[in-house]
Amino acid sequence: MSRTIFNTIELLPPDALFGIKQRYNADERKDKVDLGIGAYRDNQGKPWVLPSVKSAELAIHADPNYNHEYLNITGLNALTSGAANIIFGPDSDAIKNERIVSTQSISGTGALHIAAKFLSKFFPERKIYLSDPTWANHQAIFQAQGLVTNTYPYWDNETKSLDLNGFERSIEVAPEGSVFVLHACAHNPTGLDPTKEQWETILERIAYKGHLALFDSAYQGFASGDLNKDAYSIRLGVEKLKRVAPILVCQSFAKNVGMYGERVGCFHIVLPEQDTKEELTTVKKALSSQLSKIIRSEVSNPPAYGAKIVATILNSDELRAQWYKDMITMSSRIMEMRVTLRDRLNELGTPGTWDHIVEQTGMFSFTGLTSEMVARLEKEHSIYMVSSGRASIAGLNKLNVDRVAQSIDEVVRHFTNESKL
Amino acid sequence: MLLIRHRSLAETAKIIHQRSFTSLVEKVPLAPADKILGLTAFYNRDPNPKKINLTVGVYQDAWGKVTTFPSVAKSQKLIDNDLLLNKNLSYLPITGCKDFETNVMNFLFKESMHHPELIEQDRISFIQTLSGTGAVAIAASFLSTFITNEISVPNYSWANHTNIFTKNGFPSVDYYPYYDRKTGQIDFQNWINHLKNLPFLGKPRGILLHASCHNPTGLDPTRQQWEKIIDTIYELKMIPVIDMAYQGLETGNLIEDAHLLRLCLNTDKYPHWNNGIFLCQSFAKNMGLYGERVGSLSIVLPEADSQLKERVNSQLKRIVRGIYSSPPGYGSRIANVLLSTPNLKKQWFKDVKSMVERLQSVRLAMFERLNWPDLINKESNHGMFYFTRFSEGQVNELRTKYGIYLTLDGRLSLSGVNNYNVDYLCEALQNVSKLARA
Ligand SMILES: Cc1ncc(COP(=O)(O)O)c(C=O)c1O
Ligand SMILES: Cc1ncc(COP(=O)(O)O)c(C=O)c1O
Repeated sequence: MSRTIFNTIELLPPDALFGIKQRYNADERKDKVDLGIGAYRDNQGKPWVLPSVKSAELAIHADPNYNHEYLNITGLNALTSGAANIIFGPDSDAIKNERIVSTQSISGTGALHIAAKFLSKFFPERKIYLSDPTWANHQAIFQAQGLVTNTYPYWDNETKSLDLNGFERSIEVAPEGSVFVLHACAHNPTGLDPTKEQWETILERIAYKGHLALFDSAYQGFASGDLNKDAYSIRLGVEKLKRVAPILVCQSFAKNVGMYGERVGCFHIVLPEQDTKEELTTVKKALSSQLSKIIRSEVSNPPAYGAKIVATILNSDELRAQWYKDMITMSSRIMEMRVTLRDRLNELGTPGTWDHIVEQTGMFSFTGLTSEMVARLEKEHSIYMVSSGRASIAGLNKLNVDRVAQSIDEVVRHFTNESKL
Repeated sequence: MLLIRHRSLAETAKIIHQRSFTSLVEKVPLAPADKILGLTAFYNRDPNPKKINLTVGVYQDAWGKVTTFPSVAKSQKLIDNDLLLNKNLSYLPITGCKDFETNVMNFLFKESMHHPELIEQDRISFIQTLSGTGAVAIAASFLSTFITNEISVPNYSWANHTNIFTKNGFPSVDYYPYYDRKTGQIDFQNWINHLKNLPFLGKPRGILLHASCHNPTGLDPTRQQWEKIIDTIYELKMIPVIDMAYQGLETGNLIEDAHLLRLCLNTDKYPHWNNGIFLCQSFAKNMGLYGERVGSLSIVLPEADSQLKERVNSQLKRIVRGIYSSPPGYGSRIANVLLSTPNLKKQWFKDVKSMVERLQSVRLAMFERLNWPDLINKESNHGMFYFTRFSEGQVNELRTKYGIYLTLDGRLSLSGVNNYNVDYLCEALQNVSKLARA
């Protein structure tokens, strides 16, 4: 066999999350449980299409003008403007003064990628600071564009709480103008968010040091069931930095509208107040042209179908009201599962404390299980989660939560007993 | 506790505004507007009641409407009615939907190219992509990371090709002569000579080829010319990157139109492509799924080697994961249902045929009025576009005086022409053609 350049290509390990899904799919045990990927499941463990989405789909198909034509390079205007309203709030000063440049993106990942590509082109020397730990894909997205990533302390494993001091110190020592990637709410994987007071401190420090804040908002409304509550950090940031620096916002509708596979998201740049209207217009035009160029070089224009669904929901009072209900349905079911799991573990007397499961928000719990325990859960109990101990609570339901609790109990005891030997 | 000097926020703001933000913004220059999609914005604002938009390559029916093909509409209905198909909006795998992969690979490699053994031997690395653009972008990213950062692109070409390659790891692109603007012919000899004279810089070079219906000229090499071109490319050990955005729009027959791929895969002539063949394929035009972003990238590997395929796939996944994680579902579900339902697929073949028949009748109607022979030269002039060879001045004249919009390079999209506007259009073309091509 002749050697070609192809032979030098190295084999990469499978993506951790999609790899779990593959093993899960291949597992033939009947009672397997998938707590890996962050996707909502109903009480039967089935994917759930939100009632608001179903209504929006019907409306779209009933529209005589429905077709598959190309969207603009920057996407559907009804989507990007509706999305800005949702995330910055209807009374946002930034919206009123038209300080926002928005574009549709291939869900949250696509938005982060546009941010990365934009930063690497114009500010390649800036360091990107990611929380430790963070969503597995963050590092890859920024590094793929040649940006240097760093981490800031976030999770204190001892106290299972926020390491605010460490976080502040990072902000302090980071080279001026660094980029801080902040999870807007429902931090992935820890499920732990800063309090309002802590956000004040963090954002003031960021402003003071002239850093750039990049908010990753993948779970708005999903964490608390309330869009406004979950946008608190972003709106505070927009306010605090309004005379200081731009803010980048990556917005995903994967989880809160259940649009996972349809890839609907937006990327926004909020500009600080400018001296003159002309200045603002010039900057916005330049930014928008550059974002268009990036998008044109990778996808030409974003996918239409999911965008139309989300835009339909965002722009209809009735469907929006339904959507708010849907989010409460999802967030309250997840909360119920958190409580049930904690209670079962307490009833079983499983070694350790389990209150953090209830205190964490969003889709995930950072259970504190070790990677050995996770491996044993998979092997012996056909329960799948990320090796860091992150469990997607959405994968729990009334039918499997007891078995999951018993299995966790078994693996925790297995390793605690072993270590005592 | 941390000791931090406290400055008032307003004070901070001022300092930072001065030193960081202004520079930050001033550094971002205005990128030129996209040549094609920007014109549509002008068109929309034009008050001329007779205006005609002939810029975008989207098929319109004889009434100027963008309609959904019957085959696609039926597939859509099946999906919408069958809860099992559309009640799951979950993430697709990184490389796309498995069924889509099977159906598209069968359609491309078994039916269109008659090379089922490539599938049987597991020789193809395949991913679902964001339409043709996404396929070229991932191919560019993969090539520039592992194989080569040299690519030759035809002059002219789809305006976005250069943008895609230079934004995805290629420092620059080389342009090979393709079209002789003076004669309106393929610049065949110069094309071959150009390739032969390219310096060898230690790496194999990629070459982008339009599989058919060349954009923007609408002019393809003849079959004989293709043979000589592929002979040359093979001899020079170049890597074909084949952009197939218009399969079916050349002859009206989807299968027939894959002739360039069948030629490249003729193992009697070309036993071993050292660095594979890259096929970037789009369902935007031939299924009318434009905005749904449905397409694929297939890398025909140099040899059957399952480990090699695994390695290549793992790298493709890494690239995708860093750009968009996984592709959009809806459009691929439509394509998938269509390709796997025999009567819908039959209908699709008919739909494509009637689209092409209409485009050919437009060519004929224009020929009858203008008597420009290349309008009806079936051997070489194909697809949705007719290249007027008008100068920018002439294109501007058409726009300002007649409200007729072509792209600045003089490309005219035949799909916007119909019985209602053909007379007005041809009269304008006739008038403008008399102006000097300054
Ligand atoms: C923190 C975070 N950011 C972004 C995303 C992006 O997801 P998507 O690209 O599906 O919107 C996710 C998804 O899991 C996430 O957890
Ligand atoms: C030559 C060529 N390649 C690729 C494309 C990509 O189109 P899409 O990304 O919509 O499939 C086009 C579309 O105009 C084209 O003309």
